[in-house]
Amino acid sequence: MLELSSLSKRYAEFAFGPLDLTVRNEVLSVLGPSGSGKTTLLSLIAGTAEPDGGTISLNGRRLDGRPIADRETGLVFQDGALFPHLTARENITYAATDPDRVDELAATFELADLLDRRPPTLSGGERQRVALARTLAADPAALLLDEPLSSLDAPIRRRLRDELHALFTDLDIPIVYVTHDQRTATALGDRLAVIRDGTIEQLGTPSDVVSHPETPFVASFTGTENVFAATVTGSTDGTTVRIGELALRSTETAETATGSTVTACIHPARLQLTPTDSGDAGATNTVSGVVEQWLNEGTDYRVSISVEGVAESLTATVRPAAVDGLSIDPGSPLRLTIPPDAVHLISSSAIPMD
Amino acid sequence: MFPRQSRTESVGRVDWLSVTYLLGVLLLCYYLLPFVSLVASQPLGVVARRLTSPTVLSAAATSFTASVVSTAIATGLGLPLAYWLARAEGPRKTLVTAIVVLPLVLPPIVSGMLLLTVVGPETLVGRLAAENGIALTRSTAGVVLAQTFVASPFVVITAKAAFERVDPALEYASQSLGKSRLTTVRRITLPIAWPGILAGITLAFARAIGEFGATIMLAYYPRTMPVQIWISFTTLGLDNAFPVAVVLVGIAVLTLVVLNTLGSNPFD
Repeated sequence: MLELSSLSKRYAEFAFGPLDLTVRNEVLSVLGPSGSGKTTLLSLIAGTAEPDGGTISLNGRRLDGRPIADRETGLVFQDGALFPHLTARENITYAATDPDRVDELAATFELADLLDRRPPTLSGGERQRVALARTLAADPAALLLDEPLSSLDAPIRRRLRDELHALFTDLDIPIVYVTHDQRTATALGDRLAVIRDGTIEQLGTPSDVVSHPETPFVASFTGTENVFAATVTGSTDGTTVRIGELALRSTETAETATGSTVTACIHPARLQLTPTDSGDAGATNTVSGVVEQWLNEGTDYRVSISVEGVAESLTATVRPAAVDGLSIDPGSPLRLTIPPDAVHLISSSAIPMD
Repeated sequence: MFPRQSRTESVGRVDWLSVTYLLGVLLLCYYLLPFVSLVASQPLGVVARRLTSPTVLSAAATSFTASVVSTAIATGLGLPLAYWLARAEGPRKTLVTAIVVLPLVLPPIVSGMLLLTVVGPETLVGRLAAENGIALTRSTAGVVLAQTFVASPFVVITAKAAFERVDPALEYASQSLGKSRLTTVRRITLPIAWPGILAGITLAFARAIGEFGATIMLAYYPRTMPVQIWISFTTLGLDNAFPVAVVLVGIAVLTLVVLNTLGSNPFD
């Protein structure tokens, strides 16, 4: 178990922590934008930076103050950080506590044909597989990964993500996986920590964090593109809020009084689009809108819709199959339905979004 | 019409890359011509006779031995300093770099004068060494001291640049794999930086074997090749100095070729 207690580090223009965090033998995804403190977190655990305050313990053993080599924390870098003058085999052998494990790890990561090649001749994905094999060869007590997939092409990234998922399942050690990619974070993490300005803004299971963000920033950063300031207008049988002139019902109970301001979050995948001549126009949370633009993102269409009385446009993601019955050309009228359980409310006491 | 226009354009266009190559060749000629002229002007028999002259042989031995020792000292002491400089930050790094560069900007004869104020026979260091049977001037040790002073910055500056090109992430990766800092430097940093370090060692040796100004101030005796050339020139004239110069050039070129040919990575 990895335990961080009141961990802090101050740089000239950035303050990290104080941060308390416990990572059991699980995968903790740490998600945050550039400069949020993700890499600082890993640096402090790995020992490439020393904290100004607080403690770090791994399986009950204090790590802070110890040399990097004495921490047993395997570190996987964004670009692999393979030793360029050594072959793939030599890279792994360099780290191996047991020489017999080299071939075993090579088989696990499908490296048999690459072992005699030097890093510059390997592709990005191959380099990362060698880096992972090398790190595991040292038999670490915790695994720290610093955006290992971020520099890879999408197909290789997806494949390696699947391989990592399978690998992590077999490893019974604390794993901290740092990334700025929400999909990778939620796919790999048993738990997800969203970090911002050196502090953890929300920690929970990926599905809980994504569906119930506690701050507008978490909502926005985990894919909830529809984040609006709203006014509570009623609290009978859930909550009624008003975004501009749009009244919406939410199944959630607002923790604030009528008239107070909250943040309403609606995940774009929860917006339902239908033609204007179908369904019940008077159903709950159903309004008319006009398409502003659409974007084919491959797996989904991302449609921006303006609704009368709402200053900002709403964004919906639509599966390609569902687009067939719709007209999503700019200017086309549509009907939007927002299920009341898709309207998530954050009280105004939560940290405001920049 | 079209082909004619194209030909016209290609005739009028200046190939700047070729021009820059020509400039490089010009400089290369400037380096080589004096050597060619020197070797061509000396009959082989004369050079061979000078080669077997005891004074030349003695000067060659002194120069070579002292250069090897001073290059070894420069490397042994220079590499740790170069590594520290490569990894240090802030004003201390700037200050230390300036100190390292000082011997490069001083005229060698001034370097010799400065060294005399530290290791001369009347100084504390000079007297202490003499009491222990070590002469720091008018000795091979004096030659080594002079050569080390003027040649070692080449090792430090060149190796520093080579160490700076080694990504610190590689060192962190090695340490996170359980390797100590010393093992990391020995097995990761040095091998990667080795080509740059070797260039520094080569430059330092070349500077040491050609050292004259500081050496003549610190150790007129035993004579090194440059000192012997100077004496031959001032006492017997240019024609008598040339064959000795050919010998020096031969030794220097041979050593540099050997250094680079055998320059496989000892840390790999």
